[in-house]
Amino acid sequence: MAYSEKVVDHFNNPRNVGSFKKEEDGVGTGIVGAPECGDVMKLQIKVQNDTIVDAKFKTFGCGSAIASSSLATEWLKGKTVEEAGKIKNTDIVQELNLPPVKIHCSVLAEDAIKAALADYQKKADPK
Amino acid sequence: MNGHTHNTDDRRELQMARSMCWHCQSEMAGEYFCDRCVKVQPVSKDLDYFTCFGLPRRLVIDTQVLEAKFYELSRAFHPDFYQNKSDAEQSISLGNSAMLNTAYRTLRDPIQRAEYLLDLEAGAVKDIRTSPPADLFEEILELQETLDEFRESNRASEQASTLRAKLDADRTNLEERQRDMEARLQQLFSRWDTLQDRGEATEQARTERNHILKDMRDILSNRTYVKNIVNDLVATIS
Repeated sequence: MAYSEKVVDHFNNPRNVGSFKKEEDGVGTGIVGAPECGDVMKLQIKVQNDTIVDAKFKTFGCGSAIASSSLATEWLKGKTVEEAGKIKNTDIVQELNLPPVKIHCSVLAEDAIKAALADYQKKADPK
Repeated sequence: MNGHTHNTDDRRELQMARSMCWHCQSEMAGEYFCDRCVKVQPVSKDLDYFTCFGLPRRLVIDTQVLEAKFYELSRAFHPDFYQNKSDAEQSISLGNSAMLNTAYRTLRDPIQRAEYLLDLEAGAVKDIRTSPPADLFEEILELQETLDEFRESNRASEQASTLRAKLDADRTNLEERQRDMEARLQQLFSRWDTLQDRGEATEQARTERNHILKDMRDILSNRTYVKNIVNDLVATIS
C-alpha cells in the first residue's frame, strides 16, 4: 500500500522537529505511545497569553505517525488552547488520506495534543 | 466457562448458523459438515480460534494437538477438493481455509495467542485503564537521541567510541529486560490457566482475572516498545 502524497511530503520534510525545555514557562509536553506498533511520540507546545506560539515534535515510528505529528504541530501554531483541544484525529485522517490500518497513528497524534495541553494546564494552574 | 459474551443478536445468529444446514436446511449436529447432505458448512465468524480447533481457551496449549487439528481441517476444507463442487461450496471452502490459516498462525505463536486472548476477554479489561509507561518513554526518547548523535558522529572520533560504549551497555541492559519480561509473561500465562482451570465465579477470582489480564496487557505493550528500540540499536551499532 502506498502512502499518500501528503504523508510522503511530511515524512521527507517534517515540520517543527525538535524540542523545548520541559521546565520552561508556558511549555506543555505530551509523550504517548501506541502499544500495537511500539511507536513513541513526543509533542510540545509553547503557550503565550493563551495562544500556542510554537509547537515541536519528535516521533519514532512509521511514516504515518511522523506525518500525523508533523501536521499536528502545523495546525497547533496560532491556535488558542481551547481551539487546540478541538483537533480530532478524524481531521488528520482526512487531511493525510490515511488508510484504515493507519488510523491509530492519527489517534496517537490526538492523544499527544491532549497530553501536551493537560501538561500545560497542570503547570499553569498547579493544585 | 468463561466471561466471553456475545450480545443476544450475535448469539442468535451464531445458533442459527450452527444449527441449520445452508443446503438441506436440516438440523445440524455435525461440526463443519452436515450429517444429512454431507455439505461443507461455513465456519461462523463468531467462533473463536480456540473453539475452532477444539482447544480450551488457555495460554499454554498442546501445540501438537493444534497442528494435528490444523492439518485435519486443512484437508477437509482445501479448495482443491471442491473444484467440481457448486459455487457455494467452493466459496465456503475458500473462506474456511483462509480463516483456518489465520487462526493457526495466531494460536501457534505464544505472543499472538496471548494478544488474541486479550482481545477476546476485552470485555473484562475494557474498564481497566492501562497507564502509559512514562518512564519507559522518557528512556526511549533519550536513547533515540543518543542514537542520533552516534549516527551523526565521525565513527573514528573519540566521541563516537564513547557513545558506542554507552549504546552497547544499553543494549545489554535492554536485552536482559526483554528476557525478564518473557519470564514474567510465562508466569502470568500459567497463573491465568490455573485460574481458568479452577473455574471459580467468585468476586475474588474475577478480580484476580482482571489483574492478570491487565499485567499481561502492560507487559505485552512494553515488550513492543522495547523490541523496537532494541531493533534500532542493533541496526545502528552493528
